[in-house]
Amino acid sequence: EIHIKEPIEKEVYPRLLPGELLLCEASTVYKYIQEDGSNRGTYGKLVCTNFKIAFLDDNSASDDNEPQFENKIVGENDITLQCVDQIYGVYDEKKKLLTGQLRKYPEKLIIYCKDLRVFHFCLRYTKEEEVKRIVSGIVHHSQTPKLLKRLFLFSYASAAPNNTDGRNQTVMFETLEDWRGELERTKGNAKYKAVTTNEGYRVSNKLPLYFVVPICVSEESILKYEGRGIPIWCWSCHNGAALLKMSAFPKEQDDSSSQMQKAFLDGIYKTISKPPYELLKTDDLSSSLPSLQDIQTAYTKFKQLFLIDNSTDFWATDVKWFSLLESTNWLEIIRRVLKKAIEVVECLERQHTNVLLIEESATDLCCVISSLVQVMMDSYSRTKSGFQSLIQKEWVIGGHGFLDRCNHLHRSDKEEAPVFLLLLNCVWQLVQQYPPAFEFTETYLTVLSDSLYVPIFSTFFFNSQHQKDTNTSGESLNTQSSPFRFLTVWDWSVQFDPKAQAFLNNPLYADKSKPDKSHRKTARFKHQRQLSLPLTQTKSSTKRGFFREETDHLIKNILGKRIGKFINSSDEPPNSFREFYDSWHSKPVDYHGLLLPCIDGPEIKVWAQRYLRWIPEAQLHGGGTIATAANILDLMEEVQSLQVKMDEEHSQAISGDLHSVPVLRNSARLSSLFPFALLQRQSIKPALPTSTWKDLEDEDDLVNRDDEFVDLSGDIL
Amino acid sequence: MSGAPGGRRPAFPGLPGELVLEEAAGARQRCREGDGSVPGTLLCTNRRVAFLPAQAPGSRAFLHSDYDVALPCIRKLVAASSFTKPKVLTAASTLKFIPEELAVFCRDFRLLRFHFQENGLALQAFRVANAIAQAREAAAWLGDTGEGHDGWCCPAEAPLEDEDEEEGSAATLLFESLRDWEKELKRLGAVGWRVSAVNERFDMAPSLPQYLWVPSGLLDHDLKRTFAHFEERRVPRLCWHHPGGGDLLRAASFHAASEPGSEDVRCLEALLLGGRGPCVLADTAELPTLADIQVAHLKLRALCLPGAAAEEKWLSALEGTRWLDHVRTCLRKAVEVASLLAGRRCSVLLQEPSDRDLNCLLASLVQLLGDPHTRTLPGFQSLVQREWVAAGHPFPHRLGLLRRDSPREEAPVFLLFLDCTWQLVRQFPAAFGFTEAYLLALHDSSFAPYFSTFLFSCQRQQGRGSPHRPRSQTYTPVNGWRDPQPGAPQVGRTGSPACRLPTVWDWGLRYSRHQRARFRNPAGAAGTVGPPNAADPQTPSRPTDAWPGPGAGNVFVLTKGMLSPQPFPWRSGRPPQRLSRWAPSLESLGEWGGSPGGNRPPAPPPGLLLPCAAGPSVRLWQRCYLRGLPEAQHGRFAPSPAGLAEELTLLQDRLSAWQPAGSCTEAAGSALTPSR
Repeated sequence: EIHIKEPIEKEVYPRLLPGELLLCEASTVYKYIQEDGSNRGTYGKLVCTNFKIAFLDDNSASDDNEPQFENKIVGENDITLQCVDQIYGVYDEKKKLLTGQLRKYPEKLIIYCKDLRVFHFCLRYTKEEEVKRIVSGIVHHSQTPKLLKRLFLFSYASAAPNNTDGRNQTVMFETLEDWRGELERTKGNAKYKAVTTNEGYRVSNKLPLYFVVPICVSEESILKYEGRGIPIWCWSCHNGAALLKMSAFPKEQDDSSSQMQKAFLDGIYKTISKPPYELLKTDDLSSSLPSLQDIQTAYTKFKQLFLIDNSTDFWATDVKWFSLLESTNWLEIIRRVLKKAIEVVECLERQHTNVLLIEESATDLCCVISSLVQVMMDSYSRTKSGFQSLIQKEWVIGGHGFLDRCNHLHRSDKEEAPVFLLLLNCVWQLVQQYPPAFEFTETYLTVLSDSLYVPIFSTFFFNSQHQKDTNTSGESLNTQSSPFRFLTVWDWSVQFDPKAQAFLNNPLYADKSKPDKSHRKTARFKHQRQLSLPLTQTKSSTKRGFFREETDHLIKNILGKRIGKFINSSDEPPNSFREFYDSWHSKPVDYHGLLLPCIDGPEIKVWAQRYLRWIPEAQLHGGGTIATAANILDLMEEVQSLQVKMDEEHSQAISGDLHSVPVLRNSARLSSLFPFALLQRQSIKPALPTSTWKDLEDEDDLVNRDDEFVDLSGDIL
Repeated sequence: MSGAPGGRRPAFPGLPGELVLEEAAGARQRCREGDGSVPGTLLCTNRRVAFLPAQAPGSRAFLHSDYDVALPCIRKLVAASSFTKPKVLTAASTLKFIPEELAVFCRDFRLLRFHFQENGLALQAFRVANAIAQAREAAAWLGDTGEGHDGWCCPAEAPLEDEDEEEGSAATLLFESLRDWEKELKRLGAVGWRVSAVNERFDMAPSLPQYLWVPSGLLDHDLKRTFAHFEERRVPRLCWHHPGGGDLLRAASFHAASEPGSEDVRCLEALLLGGRGPCVLADTAELPTLADIQVAHLKLRALCLPGAAAEEKWLSALEGTRWLDHVRTCLRKAVEVASLLAGRRCSVLLQEPSDRDLNCLLASLVQLLGDPHTRTLPGFQSLVQREWVAAGHPFPHRLGLLRRDSPREEAPVFLLFLDCTWQLVRQFPAAFGFTEAYLLALHDSSFAPYFSTFLFSCQRQQGRGSPHRPRSQTYTPVNGWRDPQPGAPQVGRTGSPACRLPTVWDWGLRYSRHQRARFRNPAGAAGTVGPPNAADPQTPSRPTDAWPGPGAGNVFVLTKGMLSPQPFPWRSGRPPQRLSRWAPSLESLGEWGGSPGGNRPPAPPPGLLLPCAAGPSVRLWQRCYLRGLPEAQHGRFAPSPAGLAEELTLLQDRLSAWQPAGSCTEAAGSALTPSR
């Protein structure tokens, strides 16, 4: 029933990275283009290396339609071993999860990826020997526990030493200077100091080499409980209030030691609550936010909506789309996290109190909340380098256990939780609500989330700075004694050439003329002046403070509440959070000031670019936001080139480049899933579901049948 | 800023016949965006509730979109005070306390809130609140009879600042004159069709327009024989002609009791098939019924009130309204029809029992998908004018503007259409010459009874319903009034040369120039006016004679995306025909020439939009429906490309001024601006 196109025997070789080894391969594998029952696909070779699983298309060489946005490391048909989510085998039409040892080999292999791609490989035409080798190879290398040192990261680093000098605008927070610089930038240096207590990891393996604490905290107290119970500085707000985090003491059985811990904590609280420090508010995130387990469960359900086997599945879930979405609880978790962040912002901004986030290890939800707070309050964090520095500070150096949370080594499923993805999802909500406030685009966030699974960068492949340090210098795989020099993910040129990198930058970013963090300055942006873009209500941002002395303010609020209450018909007492939130939203947005996300029911959305990009049914030809973006980019380019002309003032040099019309942006030819999916076949399928066609008689039947029909088949093209 | 009571308010430019019933100076309107509130005067007239801001920005226009609510547009009136519970005001229930705040819930999803400062406003506040409640009742009754409409007459004022003729309204075809029908038919390039004036006196079919597009081969004499065989005598007629040869027709369902004789059958089949190829009947059975639409809309409205659903249950509540389901069904059906027309040379007959509701929606949607001209602003307006206004969509009944009607007649089909259009604009922002702001304005205007467009059920009624007052009165150029239809052809051959209300397309009446600038999408494909690419290689036309003559074998029904042969009812006695080869080939529409396994993406057929009707792609029109939510009211319109385009023009002007003899500026000018 499959239309077998005679496979062309042509030798194709995988493109291997330095340090990449071919482990096993199988030829005459049939890859379905789209599992819709049409059985369309291509033959090729399936290979597994120590870095990736790759499908080598027979006619991949003849592909003259070069994609605009290509990842130089991971190709369209490549799946890095860390990106594999689950592997299913199909035996007699039944799907079975493949893990560990196999006794029987499937005729079809379905690979679900963490970046939500789904691959279907048919092995029916492959030699049995090869099937055995490739299937067990793939399962073994991608699904079974692994040693850290077996990560491709190390082979790559030893084979391709990183010769870039790492000169990047991103602050890595690996040195004391970086921390001091951050303190200075946020004007936190009067009350907080960077300490070297943890040099040689004397305090704890979990803490970074350098970190910042209140000046009044002594070295002894830091050392006393391995850094537990110590408030660690995250960020200082413009008004001096600071965001702190602390890892809590584990529950002690022993009464006396818990007494001592309590006394210790009381002492700490006392010292940092005294002037010059602001009042302190503590927030135990493990009780006020969903647990990691909840997050993992919700995400697992959520991603299932997008890991679709075929279009029939898609249309089956489509009917109940909204309620299915709701039942996953993922969007609700995003809302709760955003809400918590707004609460923290309210304390810092309006109540001038310090906020201390408490969590068992202070490396999971603490990272999410502190990063979000900074993205909302600090416009520097909304630039690309600022955001990257933030991720370095709070996550990479801050000690988020990427290795465990992403389960890169398949050590324990219990530790897995998409905490970092949760942050990216939350930031995406902000990006799509206030695009001009961010220097980066949603595409940036999407490729960042993909980079979680590319093991040539060290960024997301260690649990802590300590783990990285010990594994960088120590016994290296080969006999060379020089330490590994890993790449960082922030060097985007490793993955993307400059043309593709352009998609990571937001052309409509409302840039500031001067780096100035004060909220109260009149926001007069460069772009604003240049383009007089109606970047919506940016005019009167002078009154940005929250203590406006407006005469009718009080009356307005009282009345507002009253009628609001009538409308809401809820008895919930008006809390300061709601007031803060409403009052902020009643004012025009300053893209360089405080930014609060809308968290009401309809406002929290699905990150369509990340989750829907591989689903052809969700694709629009020449549609979607990309169409507008392309147009705006065109216009921007024209405006800029004209401005250059104006500056030049005289017409000598005017000849050519005015007509340098953008190359790629014919929006009608782009898909809404651009830059990710290649244009798929025209998908009118939704309108004319294929399933119903099966009811019709076969075309061949008809040909042999009658005299009366009209042949129109030539008419279609 | 003199908001004090007794302070002078700006002059109120009332409409003819409009009386100010009550007013409260010193009221404040809560703003939608920005800080606090605007001081001004709250007026209640026998037409509307109006608010005059003290610093009158809107004093120049007679109607102001931001501050006005027409009385029929008010859905609920709530008064609140600090001492008692808020109270819903109706004409029957009188207010027993001094209101401090007045909330006006509008049918167009707006929520206006006025509040009164305590100092000495008590009496005025009380009186104005009661007056609104009373006037609303009175106005609703007034609007009922056809003759009552003259009360709503509104001057087509020449916008004072507008020296340039507005492109939109001028280029909009109203389809009231023969010329419009002929012009449009020519644009479509529909050879083989002609304009018939057979219904010029509305005697053939009262609810149909005066002019119909029918096959050239069919004489009026023969055409007349067909009317009796359709419900409401609404015969099949052409809506749109695809350049590849496909025709889109619409009609009411076949009259149940009619038994056409052989001569009638000949005429009917000439009308339906006309030697043009197979005919596909697409009925509206899969589409939501009027009742479904109404229920969904009511639920949606309830959901969009503040606090209607808990945040975490919002999505399932939204799903529960089924409104988006209806949107998706309509889109899907339109895609089916549009791809049939684009892929095959055939005619598709849209058949709805009454041909006055969902047929309007479907016919216009199909054209939006297939005809780039209809995606321009004038093109869209002409489309609405032809497929809705002229085609006899009973707007007053469906929008519930008439009080005495049984509520069952209310069904916002037109709003459903606007929502579908919004989905298209959202999915294909670059393909449209107009914006979301425009659709929003049209949405709101459908409740404002100042315009002829939405006040009548059909062309005939519009001709009749025009006021019986002396011409001179309306045409007297007082106060900057002028002839409502400058330059519009007044072919009053029916003998009722209406002194007319302005059409809704005179946007200058309600929207400021600044607002109107946002209607246009400069990046849209507005430039491509004219017949959709006729030289389309993908839709070859086939000589007509390749088809077998008209016969029952060439009639199909489109149900659930599937074609099955079905004879016309008058031929139903015969055994069903065999499935034609033609039907399965429809499936390959899904593949637009994509070779199996090929990597090269096939080019989509030019000009054809294929929206995605899947759950994740169909969204809630938040800016429309959630306007009532206080937290959603900070309308974050995306940075308008119009702003950029303006900047571009400005820069070009400056540049050319700079280089008087510069040769390259011209070249730049032509290369840059995408539209205009």
